[in-house]
Amino acid sequence: MKKTYKLENLDCANCAAKMERAIGKIDGVSDCNISFMTQKMSIDAADEKFEDILASAQKAISRVDRECKIIK
Amino acid sequence: MTKSQKIDLIKIGVSAVLYVLGFVTGNFWVFMAAYAVAAYETIWEAIMGVIHLELLDENFLMTIASLGAIYCGEYPEAVAVMLFYQVGEFFENYAVNNSRKSIAGLMDIKAEFANRLVGGREEKVEPEELHLDDIILVRPGEKIPVDGIVTEGSSSLDTAALTGESIPRDVSEGEEIISGTINLTGLLKVRVTSVYEDSTVAKVLDLVENASSKKAAVEKFITKFAHYYTPIVVGCAVALAVIPTVILGWSAFSEWLYRAMIFLVISCPCALVISVPLSLFAGVGSASRQGILVKGSNYLEALSKVDTFAFDKTGTLTTGRFAVTKVSPAGSISEAELLEMTAVCESMSNHPIADSIAAYWLNTTGKAEEPGRVSDYEELSGRGISCLYKGRKVYLGNSRLMEQVGAKYKEADDIGSIVYAADENGYLGYIAVADQIRDNSQSTLAELKALGVKREVMLTGDRKEIAEVVAGEIGVTDVLSELLPGQKVEALEKLLADEADSKGRLVFVGDGINDAPVLARADVGIAMGAFGSDAAVEAADVVIMTDDISKLSAVMRIARKTMAICRENVVFALGIKFAILILGAIGLANMWEAVFADVGVAIIAILNSMRALKL
Repeated sequence: MKKTYKLENLDCANCAAKMERAIGKIDGVSDCNISFMTQKMSIDAADEKFEDILASAQKAISRVDRECKIIK
Repeated sequence: MTKSQKIDLIKIGVSAVLYVLGFVTGNFWVFMAAYAVAAYETIWEAIMGVIHLELLDENFLMTIASLGAIYCGEYPEAVAVMLFYQVGEFFENYAVNNSRKSIAGLMDIKAEFANRLVGGREEKVEPEELHLDDIILVRPGEKIPVDGIVTEGSSSLDTAALTGESIPRDVSEGEEIISGTINLTGLLKVRVTSVYEDSTVAKVLDLVENASSKKAAVEKFITKFAHYYTPIVVGCAVALAVIPTVILGWSAFSEWLYRAMIFLVISCPCALVISVPLSLFAGVGSASRQGILVKGSNYLEALSKVDTFAFDKTGTLTTGRFAVTKVSPAGSISEAELLEMTAVCESMSNHPIADSIAAYWLNTTGKAEEPGRVSDYEELSGRGISCLYKGRKVYLGNSRLMEQVGAKYKEADDIGSIVYAADENGYLGYIAVADQIRDNSQSTLAELKALGVKREVMLTGDRKEIAEVVAGEIGVTDVLSELLPGQKVEALEKLLADEADSKGRLVFVGDGINDAPVLARADVGIAMGAFGSDAAVEAADVVIMTDDISKLSAVMRIARKTMAICRENVVFALGIKFAILILGAIGLANMWEAVFADVGVAIIAILNSMRALKL
């Protein structure tokens, strides 16, 4: 399932790249793309674990930038 | 400016004033106050980063670099590192936000509300809440929220935001209207035919917003580069601080630590990481303002390297509408009689050529066929038709038919398809019907050549002789004629194979209606005249909303310039960074130059990227 979310307070392009890499490594994520320009994250992950994966994604994002939040 | 930006600006101002005071008074504590104001947030973030084991975090590296400068006794430089780091961050933030907004402004095509009519009353709803067959009211000045059909009223629509076309489009009862356009003059009652998600406006927005997820090679390179750059530069910094100290002794530490700190200041690849995607995003935005949707920055990159254009003839180089170009009677029949006879007889047929003759007759005389004047109608497959018209047996068709009935016809050398006419008594003349070449096909192809396109290939199902005449008129370099629909893919694959060893890319341009497989197979598939056609939008990589062929050279120019801007930024940023790194390592650069290589370069690169917005 592929979904797109808006990211709040994403204010550094390099951070976006770091987050993208970190989320891509989460188990069950087949693709993740964070666009600094549109401030959006699209994430393609297994359906059954989607909620858990989203939580781990938020954790990965917070590690890079504490202010940055996924808006659901 | 947002609130947090204002706070940042105040901090920068206070720190800058203290900094100048520090120089005037020469007081250590004034410098430290300036440092504290500029740096406290960064240091706090750095500490949080360390707790999360993010040691290559920018905040952490800047903190270390400035603390190192303080250790070396270079107080003004320590303040400068932090102060200019803040200035750079502020500016980056501001510039990126601004350009994001201006690009978003280009795509401001979504209506904020819709006026739904329920039981004669009007209610304001979100476009997403509309259902199929709802009736909505659109007043002058409002945007059309979803696709629909006009049930009452007439008006003209401003389609510029979608098509880049400045001439308004007139609509009246019974006509389809496309969401994202603006109602200019009259009140319209519209029946909803697509819910918001399926409407043109949603599709176009989705496309542009997702364009940044298909990354160009230069973007991928930057991401990869950034991944390795910081650790390597930081590693070098550590080595610079440690190794000479071990060899030369403790007395050398301060000197080499300073050099290491220069490395840390330059360790962020931000200038590149921001400016390259920003340029590409701005390029895509520029194109969409002109009614050209580019589905990914990778296609923009490919377009900049195109050296072969393949065109579908019908509907692309030509308008795809047949029109009568000549009525040439022979013998005693007059031009008007020949046209009337042909039009009346042909109106029984549903062949596009027959339709075009009937349409031409209707347009020129205002007459339409009344039923019953033609009898014994017969289609002679591969040759034409025969029928009884005013009591005479009439034959209309190609030269084979003329030979068969023994008419003494003269071969016509007009371009296009020829319909010969004969009756029992002999040959009556011919009507030439041709697909119209677009007005600006020739000039566009010439422009593309000037832009460095080497081959322009026309693909068509037409007969060789006709194809070559059209090709000569338009000015393509190669013609592949007599292709059956399925053979177009094969023809394209052959072209691609010819290309295999060159770096050039191949573009296929079609109308997107029945050439989806060919569009998909080309390096870049461009669909033209896609305004309101879902199939074309779906199949192509680049969508030109109007059928204006000159947009091809426009999009190529945008692609070229955008990529040139990206290259400038990469070369400039890397050049300066590496130069300062080397000079820093051998002790010839100071902290000031390092700050420039970090913040200055980022600002210049961002400003350069913004040029792509105005292409």
